[in-house]
Amino acid sequence: MDEKTRREIEGKILPKYRTRRSACMASMQLVQRQKGYLTKEDMEEIARLLDMEPVEVEAVGKFYTMYNVERPVGRYHIQVCENLSCSLMGGEHILKHIERLLGIKTGQTTGDKRFTLSVVQCLGSCGTAPVIQVNDDYYENLTDKKVEEILERLK
Amino acid sequence: MTTGLVTLKINGREVTVREGTLILDAAKEAGFDIPTFCYQANLSGLGSCRMCLVEIEGQRKLQPSCITPVMPDMNVFTETDTVKMTRSAMLEFLLSNHPLDCPVCDKGGECELQDLVYKHGPRKGRFAEDKVRHHDKDYILSPVIVKNANRCVQCMRCVRVCKEVVGRGVLGAVGRGVHQEETSFLRTRLDCDHCGMCIEVCPVGSFMRLPYRYRARPWDLVSARSVCGYCATGCRLTLERRGDTVVRAIANPEDGFNRKLLCARGRFGYDVMNSEERIKTPLVKERDGSFRPVSWDRALELMKEAILRAGPERAAGVASATLTNEELYLFQKFMRKVVGTANMDSTSRWSAESSLKFMEAAGIRGGGTSVYQCAESDVVVVLGGQLSEENPVTDYILRYINGARRNTLVIASPRGMKLDSSAQLSVRTVPATTGAFIAALLKALVEKKEVSMEGMEAVKGLTVEELSGVCGVNADDIRWIAARLLTAGSVGVLAGTDMLRYDDGAEELALLVRLLENTVRDVRVLPLLDRANQRGAWDMGVHPYLEPGYRPAQRRGHDVHGIVELADSGGLGFLYLLGEDVLGLYPDRAGVERALSRVGFLVVQDSFMTGSAPMANLVLPMAMYGEKHGTMTNQEGRVQRMEAVRRPEGEVRTPLETIGRAGNLIEKDFPVVRPGDVWKEIQKQVPGYGEVRGMEAFKGASADQVAELKPSFSYAVPERAEGEFWLLTGNHLFHGARLSQHSGILRELLGGCVVEIGSTAAQRLGVGEGDMVEVEARGYRERLPVRIREGTPDGVAFMPENFDGKDANRFFDKDRVVSTVRIRPYKKQGE
Ligand code: SF4
Ligand code: SF4
Ligand code: SF4
Ligand code: FES
Ligand code: FES
Repeated sequence: MDEKTRREIEGKILPKYRTRRSACMASMQLVQRQKGYLTKEDMEEIARLLDMEPVEVEAVGKFYTMYNVERPVGRYHIQVCENLSCSLMGGEHILKHIERLLGIKTGQTTGDKRFTLSVVQCLGSCGTAPVIQVNDDYYENLTDKKVEEILERLK
Repeated sequence: MTTGLVTLKINGREVTVREGTLILDAAKEAGFDIPTFCYQANLSGLGSCRMCLVEIEGQRKLQPSCITPVMPDMNVFTETDTVKMTRSAMLEFLLSNHPLDCPVCDKGGECELQDLVYKHGPRKGRFAEDKVRHHDKDYILSPVIVKNANRCVQCMRCVRVCKEVVGRGVLGAVGRGVHQEETSFLRTRLDCDHCGMCIEVCPVGSFMRLPYRYRARPWDLVSARSVCGYCATGCRLTLERRGDTVVRAIANPEDGFNRKLLCARGRFGYDVMNSEERIKTPLVKERDGSFRPVSWDRALELMKEAILRAGPERAAGVASATLTNEELYLFQKFMRKVVGTANMDSTSRWSAESSLKFMEAAGIRGGGTSVYQCAESDVVVVLGGQLSEENPVTDYILRYINGARRNTLVIASPRGMKLDSSAQLSVRTVPATTGAFIAALLKALVEKKEVSMEGMEAVKGLTVEELSGVCGVNADDIRWIAARLLTAGSVGVLAGTDMLRYDDGAEELALLVRLLENTVRDVRVLPLLDRANQRGAWDMGVHPYLEPGYRPAQRRGHDVHGIVELADSGGLGFLYLLGEDVLGLYPDRAGVERALSRVGFLVVQDSFMTGSAPMANLVLPMAMYGEKHGTMTNQEGRVQRMEAVRRPEGEVRTPLETIGRAGNLIEKDFPVVRPGDVWKEIQKQVPGYGEVRGMEAFKGASADQVAELKPSFSYAVPERAEGEFWLLTGNHLFHGARLSQHSGILRELLGGCVVEIGSTAAQRLGVGEGDMVEVEARGYRERLPVRIREGTPDGVAFMPENFDGKDANRFFDKDRVVSTVRIRPYKKQGE
């Protein structure tokens, strides 16, 4: 974690919360933005800043799929929803299709470190299933064609 | 606090309980046992496992009884078909992926899952799928903890106990759903209290003891109820052996006051008993300085000759305050009646005067004070010492009670401690200025409230600011504490060993207690003692000025200082060190070494070759806890019985037998006795013990007064040159007294001796955790790794007093109130 991030946690995030530990999720998100994932040292540092135990930070990180704990991801992290609505609307097929297009299996990263593919649970956008999330953006009502276009744009 | 009562019906039976009681507890009172997993007494409620569901009339869904408080006129059913079916279903779920590897699980035979399935479980599983095996191996999390994550039922007891009771919080629930795993940060080795509380509370074979692994099955074990010998919290525990090897110490939730609580020393220090280093036969020193084994007959004959040769004036004895009441009683009787001297002590570390004052101020001669009662007071004040390391389980009790009741906890001591994080206010006093600190409190109290009381006139002339300048505590903080004390309904004071060691603050404490008794009324004082039976040693009259029951001795003898001086002047013909390593503990190493070398005949009876033992003319082996019966009196005044789990091996004998036989050899009518005989005599002879019955009971009050306490109200900051450190000593978290250094397990927890300083000092010296520094004073140098203690101010250092060869007392100058040392970073040559 660099000095700037540390200052941002202390100056911008912490003042929003009554107890220091409440700033855990926001701080983790901020730190993750740097390189896409959280290292052991990041979690220790967050724990120190927020008066927590490192294991508590790890537990938060491993509870939510949005954090990548000790798991480097590519420039674009593709998260495919595999929960009920998306599955019914062909989410599994979308997943297979992406695997084919990128030539990697779920959980892997492409050799050029551009894409990482993960499955996640309900993204809260069931009305527009199937859905994927790439970094912070949602792509909805997907079809094979749409997926191809998206990947093409990001390549 | 609510005190109202609530009446409800459980399975048709009417019960009346205190408002706020959980249905679970109310049911127990009514005689109905509800199965549980996640519930654990004294932990925050979780209500996650659903084992304890009950039916409540008028509520459509079943309710978890472990987090649902009773309401008036509730009608609860704990044994209906729905409840039974649900229990069985919950267990079926738990078993769906449970490995059921009971035959190789250490917990087999004492597992809550086994027991509950046996009692409530489905007789048949309906899950046809293959079980998921989430982890292929067990994880070693510490030298004492191994974790099998497959067996976990996710009750979170381990996580909660570590945080809420132990105060470490180094365990977390990592992952979610069936993948959730209660473990350390990234499964790395734990840097924690190693107390094993996580193991003790785990209902299944998930958290397990590494040293006990695959060593025994519970039904193979022979057990005996005992008392921990490592500090005066005096935790009850059960020692268990397989064959002749003691393999486990477990807490005794059914009848010990400490319930499931034990610290690392109590839970893992049992292996001293099995140590290969123990002294196994009597040894006599040859002319060339080597030791030769001799028979007991010959040894006792030599002892007798030495006693007779020396004569009463030139004889003395020091007995360890970790022995049983029976042994201590007989020791002083032997010294007084057979040897004919009152030259005796039960410590190497402080003067008889200091102990008299402390006894008076801390209410030692009175009856008992329960630690729970003290901890539940509206305001709890901890004075001096390092409670979290000296008396770990007392620390656990204070923490969880404070967490649940949110009462005011105040700490005033020279070093940082783990309990600081629970305290509303934690202040650092300059070492050996507890007296000044209490005087400041007294002054602040009379500023707020007019008190006319004897002894208080002198306080008028003082100012809080002046005293604050001595003890180093901010005047506003002192006034804040005083204000809390005045509005409290009850006050608990815990008085640490530092007050004894530095002869500091007893007079002021007595005055404070008297003042509070006049204002608050309900005042409970609990001494914090570092030796398991210090209180018993005093009760039994192992003291140069006091006979059993605090009766003033007809003729006073020398205390340990007097004994050392007498020896140094060549005036001591016979010295009996019973379990006490004077050389390792007396606050002037060079002086005591010279003195011991001048003793006519030195007898050391101990379990191990202590520092003093090689200087002895005669070394006698000694049985230790677990090998003898007897009673111990903890710091609360709780008299607890302990049983032997096995006989002492070979030629090892109990002090009782040794003293009895030696006495009998000299005086025909001195009887060779058994513990039961001595206990009967104690009950007759020692006031306060007559009414003690059973495994555990508080002693009654003894004498009227042992010391006249008048504060002088003159204070000074102990000397210290710029850049130097005051050197404090005491027990380490993993070590109590000198015995525990022979426990292989405890030794593994802490590699060796350390020197502890605060983070500001570490920064100033440019050293980090584990870096080597050189400690130097009085011509001695020692290279030690640094341990950083948050909250300890610069200028204060600590070295445990537990290590042979790294003796802290080399640095002590007994003529100084607090000795100082220089500490500098140690760089290897060429660096
Ligand atoms: S041994 Fe004690 S301090 Fe360490 S993890 Fe277990 S409960 Fe926590
Ligand atoms: S390890 Fe044991 S105590 Fe901890 S959650 Fe699992 S079953 Fe409960
Ligand atoms: S050392 Fe003290 S606190 Fe620890 S188990 Fe023994 S008696 Fe209890
Ligand atoms: S199931 Fe995919 S967004 Fe809800
Ligand atoms: S014991 Fe009540 S829910 Fe677990």
